[in-house]
Amino acid sequence: MTTELRQTDQGRPLPDDRLKHVLYLLRLCRYFDERMEALYRQGRLPGAIYSGRGQEGTHVGVASALEPDDSLFPTHRDLSAQLTKGLDLNRVMAQYWGRIDGYLRGRDGNSHVGDWFGHRTFAVISHLPIAYPVACGAALAYKRRGDKRVAMAICGDGSTSNGRWHEAINTSSIHRLPVVWVVNNNQYAYSTPNTLEFGVPTIAERAAAYGIPGVRVDGANVLEVYAAAKEAVDRARSDGGPTLIESVSLRWRGHAGHDPAKYMPRELLEDHMANKDPVKNFETWMLAEGIVTAGDVEEIQKRVEGEFEAGFEFAQSSPYPEPGDVTKGLWVEDGYWTSEPGRGGGTEAS
Amino acid sequence: MAKAQVEAGAAGHGAEPRGKRTEAGEATYLIAIAEALWEEMERDERVYMLGEDIGAYGGAFKVTEGFIERFGDGRVMDTPIAEETIVGMAVGSAMEGMRPVAEFQYADFMSSGFDEITTVLARYHYRSGVPLPVVLRGPSGGGVRASSFHSINPEPWFAHAGGIKVICPAFPSDAKGLLKSAIRDDNPCMFLEHKWIYRRIKEIVPEEPDFLVPIGKADVKREGSDVSIITYGAMVHKALEAAENLAQRGMSAEVVDLRTVYPLDEDTVLRSIEKTSRALVLSESYRFLGIGAEVAATIAEKAFEHLDAPVERLSPPNIPVPFSPTLEDAFLPGVSDIEAAVERLSAW
Repeated sequence: MTTELRQTDQGRPLPDDRLKHVLYLLRLCRYFDERMEALYRQGRLPGAIYSGRGQEGTHVGVASALEPDDSLFPTHRDLSAQLTKGLDLNRVMAQYWGRIDGYLRGRDGNSHVGDWFGHRTFAVISHLPIAYPVACGAALAYKRRGDKRVAMAICGDGSTSNGRWHEAINTSSIHRLPVVWVVNNNQYAYSTPNTLEFGVPTIAERAAAYGIPGVRVDGANVLEVYAAAKEAVDRARSDGGPTLIESVSLRWRGHAGHDPAKYMPRELLEDHMANKDPVKNFETWMLAEGIVTAGDVEEIQKRVEGEFEAGFEFAQSSPYPEPGDVTKGLWVEDGYWTSEPGRGGGTEAS
Repeated sequence: MAKAQVEAGAAGHGAEPRGKRTEAGEATYLIAIAEALWEEMERDERVYMLGEDIGAYGGAFKVTEGFIERFGDGRVMDTPIAEETIVGMAVGSAMEGMRPVAEFQYADFMSSGFDEITTVLARYHYRSGVPLPVVLRGPSGGGVRASSFHSINPEPWFAHAGGIKVICPAFPSDAKGLLKSAIRDDNPCMFLEHKWIYRRIKEIVPEEPDFLVPIGKADVKREGSDVSIITYGAMVHKALEAAENLAQRGMSAEVVDLRTVYPLDEDTVLRSIEKTSRALVLSESYRFLGIGAEVAATIAEKAFEHLDAPVERLSPPNIPVPFSPTLEDAFLPGVSDIEAAVERLSAW
């Protein structure tokens, strides 16, 4: 069963205002992704970028199923999920430019962001399956204390080849931990296709090996993704244990900004862009259902563009961290992270 | 029920580690470590243990024997053989306010959790400000004929990770006080228990519930005036034996026990060198880029004007720990090697 993409009739699974918010998030994430890539190509953005374009349905869909107290262990490619969790765009953009107002005070850049004490998101680590065991630990804490909370971890298809992925899912099954395992199967791990990552037809069917439910959904349909995630989150919250969700999409861009992805068949990409665009699909559905008008969509787009411009300005005017603070914050007792940081680093990079 | 068990333990018949002291009230290094764990588990319900075979079996070296009966399987958690996940779970639960103490059956198996230790545990607070009060415990060191995969001294690997305090006690009291400090510390701590010491060394160990030994402070275990032996772990006991032999030949060696190898207590080391002007750096970690290399460099850099002889290092070569007694004895610095080194230094 899990080899098929799940098709259900969702109707309207959320109130209209929340559906409108989903559309806003999809539009925001798409616009952010496109603009940041343009800035990167113009040499105006330092560091790296990891585009999530074409996969917003997966990331917005799964994160929409979480409550504020639930934790999210994301990857560099699913900034959309963190924005759905509520991260402030200004502070996210300050992080990209290495500024003190970024969530990590310039200690890390790009989408390696996180806001643990605020929105309960783990600061992304490049070794992607590394967060799976950590999510187990958060879920263990919830279970031990009887908190009705859930941990959700996201990774890509490449991570499923790694031992941590297996260890963590196995352990979560043994202890029936309240955790949701999400795999954004965007069909490529850097340049490596699914066929060179695993020898089974789908990732979702591996759930059977751990004795947990597995579901395979269409990442181009944000409502299908949301429904699967909501079911999994509810199961975890009611002591039903973990679930594995495979959401199938395509990585429209290269692994990172420098990668032209010439290894990807052109017709595959064109098919996805034309027929499996999660943003366009959802917008079409919202218009057809009469939940939004063309005017509403235009207004959402204006809001998104305004927020991006404001975020850009905020980031440019935020100071760099002070060089003298470089060794601070290693140990808890030096107090760096519990006090206001120095703001005398200026706004000009060397 | 629980209280009754504790009382029975105190009488020497039950689970509580303190009941396992000798009639004279001495505790072995192993029992002192168990006492620290027990007391901190009693004191703070956020403290819990996880690891392989630590529950019903009581751990590979029986440090946690009796704990599951007292604290239950919720706080004494047997894990699958998945070291990355043991460390990762410790991290995740610490992020949510728990205070995990993870046991490795041997410190050698910490390498099976290396990525979670060095990439997540060591770096996360500096990047994000989220405290990770995690303790990783494991038996380290050689001299017990356990060969390549059960004898390692991994302290340089983890001291080099940057964000982990690395503790290597030599005496039961220090082990107890330092482990209690580590469990109460808000930073990641690695606690390396030298398995050669476990059942060999015993002493009267403090019983006060708040007996703590500060992390990052060395201790002079024997005062001397001619040569300073800077060391830690099982080598402290070799150094003390050598110092005793040397005293009979009229030479006075001071033995400085680092106790914590990272952060390094430079002040205590440098004060000793100012006094003796001669340094023997003795370590069971490899000579090349081992803990001794860092100590020797620190002395050369900061105490040059006090030195009357070149700094000498004594530590094993960079080869796997061999099994056969003749080979392992040739591999490890021995008491006679230490005496010879002190004599060489004294001749300057």
